[in-house]
Amino acid sequence: MSRFSAVLRKDLLLELRGGESTIALVAIALLVLIVLVFALNPAGGSRDAPAAAGALWVALIFAGMLGAGRAMLAERDNGAIRALLLSPIDPATLYLAKLAASFIFMMVAEAAAVTMIVLFFNLSFDGRLLGLAPLIALGALGFAALATLLAAITGRVRAGDLLLPILIVPLFVPALIAGVKGTGAALAGAQLADLAQWLKILVAFDVLFLTAGYLLFEYVVGED
Amino acid sequence: MFTSIYMVFAWVPTEADQGIVQRIFYFHVPCAWVAFAAFGLVAICGIFYLWLGQQVWDDLGYAAAETGMVFCTLVLITGSLWAKPIWGTWWTWDSRLTTTLILWLLYGGYLLLRAMAEDTPQVARFAAVIGIVAATDVPVVIVSVRLWRTIHPAVLVTRQGGHGLQDPRMVATLLLAMVAFTAMFAWLLMLRFATLRVRTRLAAAARDLNLAYASAAEL
Repeated sequence: MSRFSAVLRKDLLLELRGGESTIALVAIALLVLIVLVFALNPAGGSRDAPAAAGALWVALIFAGMLGAGRAMLAERDNGAIRALLLSPIDPATLYLAKLAASFIFMMVAEAAAVTMIVLFFNLSFDGRLLGLAPLIALGALGFAALATLLAAITGRVRAGDLLLPILIVPLFVPALIAGVKGTGAALAGAQLADLAQWLKILVAFDVLFLTAGYLLFEYVVGED
Repeated sequence: MFTSIYMVFAWVPTEADQGIVQRIFYFHVPCAWVAFAAFGLVAICGIFYLWLGQQVWDDLGYAAAETGMVFCTLVLITGSLWAKPIWGTWWTWDSRLTTTLILWLLYGGYLLLRAMAEDTPQVARFAAVIGIVAATDVPVVIVSVRLWRTIHPAVLVTRQGGHGLQDPRMVATLLLAMVAFTAMFAWLLMLRFATLRVRTRLAAAARDLNLAYASAAEL
C-alpha cells in the first residue's frame, strides 16, 4: 500500500508543480463542449438533457484518451519506467497507482466539464447534479482502467498514438451507453433508484477491467 | 457445404411472410455463430500464450482473429441485405447489430495492431492482452446494448420458449448450414494457421542463419 501511495504521490506532486495534465485536460474538455454546442445548437433548458449528457461523455472520452496517453508517455521519457520496474514495486501495484493518478486528473476535468455543461446548456445548479457524481466517477474509473492498460501497449508500438483511440473507444462502448443514458435521466430529474440499472453496468464494467488490467499489466509493461 | 447450399436454395420451404429473402438466414446465423466462436478462440489462445509462452498459441490466435473478421464482415453484409427489404433500412441501432458492429471494431483494432507492429514476442503479448480484454468486453456490451434498445427477431429462442422455425426442413437446413460453416471456418483457420507456422519457422531459421553468419565472420 505504501508503494502504491509512493507512486501516486510522485504523479500528483509532478502535477501540482507543473499542472500540465489537468490544465490540458480541462482545456480539451472545454473545447470539445464548445464544438458540440456549435454542432448541436441546443435551445437550452431541461429539454436538452440528452444532448448535454452526450456532450459531457464525449468530453470525458477525449480528455481521458489524451490524459492516458500522457501518463504513460511521461514514464517513457528518460526511461523512468525502467527505474520503476527495477524498484521493488510489482507491476500490478504500479498499474493501480498510475490508474489512480489518471482517474484524479480526469475527475478534475470532469468537474470543470459539468460546470460548463450547466452554463452552456442553460441547466440549473441543483440536486440533480449530485446524481451525476456516481455515474461520472464510475465512468472515469473504468476509462482510466482501460486506458492505463492500453496506453502501456500503444506507447511502445509504431503509430501507437493512432491506435489508442481505435482500441479504446469500442471497448468503452458499454460504459458509454450506460453513462449517457444514466446522465440524461439524472439531468432530467430521475431519482437515484431509477439510475440503478445503469450504475450496475458501470460497476460491472469497472470490476471487469480493473481485474483484467491488474492481472494483465505485467505482460505489457515488462521489457524483453 | 454444397449440400447445405442445395438445401438453402432448393429444398427448404420459402418462409410465408418474408418470401425468398428469408433464405439468407441460413448463411447469416452460422456466420454469426462462427464469428463469435472465433472471437472466443482468440481470447483462449491469448490466455494460453501468456501462460505457456509458446509461439503456436500466438499463431493460432492470429489465424482465428483473421478468419473471424471475415465471418463477422459476412454477418454484417448478409444482415444488411436482409434488413433492407424486411425492415426497410440497411442498418438500425438494434442491440444485436450494435453488438456485432462493436465486435467487428474490436477485431479491427486487434488486426490493426498486428499489422502495424513487427512480429516480436512483445507484440504477441500485446495482442494476447487485447484479445482477452476484448472478449471480457463482449458480455457487458451485450447487456448494455440490450437495455439500450432492440428490434431484432429472436428466431432461435423466442420469449415464449419455443423457436420461430415452422417447418422441420428449416431446422434441418439451419443445422446443416451450421455444421458446414463451422467446417469451413475450421478449414480456413487451419490454412491460415499453417501459413503462420511456416512463417514462424522461417523467421527462426533466418535468425539461426544470421547467427551462423555472424559467428563465421568472427572466426
